[in-house]
Amino acid sequence: MSEIRLLVVDPSGLHARPAARFVQAASRFASRIVLRQDGREADAKSLIALLGLTIRPQSEITLAADGPDAEAAIAALQAELGPYVSPVG
Amino acid sequence: MGIVLISHSGTLVDGLREMVAQVAGDDVAVGTAGGTDDGRLGTSAPRIAEAIGAVLRQSDDAVVLLDLGSAALSLDIALEELSEDERARVRVTEAPLVEGAILAAVQASVGASLDEVVAAAESAASMAKLPRT
Repeated sequence: MSEIRLLVVDPSGLHARPAARFVQAASRFASRIVLRQDGREADAKSLIALLGLTIRPQSEITLAADGPDAEAAIAALQAELGPYVSPVG
Repeated sequence: MGIVLISHSGTLVDGLREMVAQVAGDDVAVGTAGGTDDGRLGTSAPRIAEAIGAVLRQSDDAVVLLDLGSAALSLDIALEELSEDERARVRVTEAPLVEGAILAAVQASVGASLDEVVAAAESAASMAKLPRT
């Protein structure tokens, strides 16, 4: 299990287009990958689950991956989120 | 995997096609049939058959979404114009058009199976839109 905490810095949160890019990037990995916000968890490979989290500006999210390529997945997905987030702690 | 968007309005499906391409990318074939043959609001069986045929020439399967139930009448006629082989590659869904198209296209873009794409589209009916508090 590999995970990282991130702060959503984009003023409009994570909206449809970046969320879809994120799902596409997550789907390239074998690991189980989730995003958590406020105790709720969404499968990072499902757009409906991700949009259902309604990731808001200035909220803290956790990106977690479990599987053979977990660390690579975390690195790639943090890069994918790029300007939308900044690392916490 | 491709998707076919059917609406009573050509303007509506043109706009939706643009949204789908921006959100899901250009790798998913999108066919549209909106309005009647003379440009009024309504549906046209020949236009629908053409849109489905175009998607099936680019993709193994086509997932079809409708805006309103009355489009199903034209769709039935259009499906009868397809060959048996083509019809077997078409799945018609109950999914809401806008949300279903976006969700289906994104799942299709990551190589999901036909069943998974249909499930994603139909799950849109219960998708929350307003932030939960």
